[in-house]
Amino acid sequence: MEADNAPAIVFDHVSVTCGGLNILDEVCAVVPRGSWTVLIGPNGAGKTTLLLALLGEMPCRGRILVGGGRGLRLGYVPQKLAVDKGMPFTVTEFLSMGVQRRPLWLGVSRAARDQAAALLDMVHAPHLMKRRVGTLSGGEMQRVLLALALQQKPELLILDEPSAGVDLEGGRLFCELLEDLRQSQGFTQIMVSHDLGMAAHHATNVICLKRRVIAQGSPQEVLTVPVLQTLFGMHMGLICSENHVHHAGVQACAAETEETPHA
Amino acid sequence: MPDLSWLFHLASLFPLEGMDMRFMQQALVALCLLAPMTAALGVQVIHYRMAFFSDAVGHSAFAGVAIGLVLGVHPHISMPVFGLAVGLCIMFLQRFSALPPDTVIGVVFSAVVASGLAVVSRDNTLARDLQQFLYGDILTLTETDICWLLALFAAFVLFQALAFNRLLYAGTSRVIAKAHRVPAALCEYLFAALLALVVMFSVWSVGVLLVTALLIVPGAAARSLARSAGGMFWWAIAVGLLSAVTGLALSVQPWMHTAAGATIILVACGCFLLSVIAASLRSEIR
Repeated sequence: MEADNAPAIVFDHVSVTCGGLNILDEVCAVVPRGSWTVLIGPNGAGKTTLLLALLGEMPCRGRILVGGGRGLRLGYVPQKLAVDKGMPFTVTEFLSMGVQRRPLWLGVSRAARDQAAALLDMVHAPHLMKRRVGTLSGGEMQRVLLALALQQKPELLILDEPSAGVDLEGGRLFCELLEDLRQSQGFTQIMVSHDLGMAAHHATNVICLKRRVIAQGSPQEVLTVPVLQTLFGMHMGLICSENHVHHAGVQACAAETEETPHA
Repeated sequence: MPDLSWLFHLASLFPLEGMDMRFMQQALVALCLLAPMTAALGVQVIHYRMAFFSDAVGHSAFAGVAIGLVLGVHPHISMPVFGLAVGLCIMFLQRFSALPPDTVIGVVFSAVVASGLAVVSRDNTLARDLQQFLYGDILTLTETDICWLLALFAAFVLFQALAFNRLLYAGTSRVIAKAHRVPAALCEYLFAALLALVVMFSVWSVGVLLVTALLIVPGAAARSLARSAGGMFWWAIAVGLLSAVTGLALSVQPWMHTAAGATIILVACGCFLLSVIAASLRSEIR
């Protein structure tokens, strides 16, 4: 019972050293259960490294406690997927390879096909069913990767810059889709992003990382001029009124330099 | 040893001159077992980008035979055992070293070739025995070899039935597969072991120089022809079998009189060419 109430993730003095370089230095942070947590920071801040350590792909010192030590079912959406463009590998097969016991060379079963269709519906991409994975655009690939992650019925969804390489409108729609899914399925979500507007608009918890944790908390508490200055090393301010956040969308909540007059 | 006479009788019904001779029947049976295995594994080799891996394991045959001859172990035992060890060693180093995968293979490749050459250079009479492993000869496979090949074929079918989907997952992204609880490591080690053994049998039939072609060319042709990953599996097997049987038939014609292994690969390359033309015509029609 205690584990059910525990935070989704606790990073307890996590350090990663690679080639003598401290990539992460004593990172202590908490990801509350059910939250949308965004990791922000400049390039080289260790955001992706922290996700890789969480996934067990990067050896680290310290402790990463997931689900109070019991572990959580994971869904992972990488930034991109290197797929051979000419490989005849359909989206239906891609979404069936993890659930179908029968080898795919005997065809995709009716049940797996129906499940793939349901998942693609869930990510608003039913038209991609018969497409080859290698021919998908960046935005389409993100939706298919999200569908693959959702297939796991994740308790913790991990996303590494899902909007990278996707246009502004595509990024906005993807975030709204994630918001709906999180609300309906109740998973915890942790993602790396460079999009401060998105973080301000959608996140419930923000971790500002620059090798160590600079600040963490709600966007209102964390996305302040001093924190952004420390993170990005320039005069940053954030136009972010409460009304704008709730009614006017992402564009109303954007990072700007201090030279721009504040609203 | 199981009685395989029914299998050879079946092969003798193949309408080809010389099929009344046992060595031809054995060669046809061996090819009909080997070609589907190399072709189907070739699909996974292409998906995993492991062509260099199979090349390294193939070249380890040279050292395996040489070491076997020096130690007095029959080459048909020393070669697959050494190849298996090399394949698993590469897989282990790739998983646990910080070096890029092709660098790991390059190092192991160099080590096994150098070992083979070093052993042979000590005794010139060994060089004569090793020549058949450079060029291969399907006609020299014995009935015992075919029994082993049958056992390997059974293991191959079982592996493909149980692990095909998981290997596809892991080959697409090892990190996603691991996060989604797919037992990728076990599948990859088993795949490496199976591939190493199949490569070793292929060395006997087409030789070290052409072993990678036997794996890659049918898969490459299938890549152009198929519309799905499942389809690619069957297309590769069809191209592999067609090339093997046609290549064997052509190689024994008096007007050809060429090495069976090389002829099989040439036919497979012809199939690849046709598949590329077919794919480009198909995309033009669209």
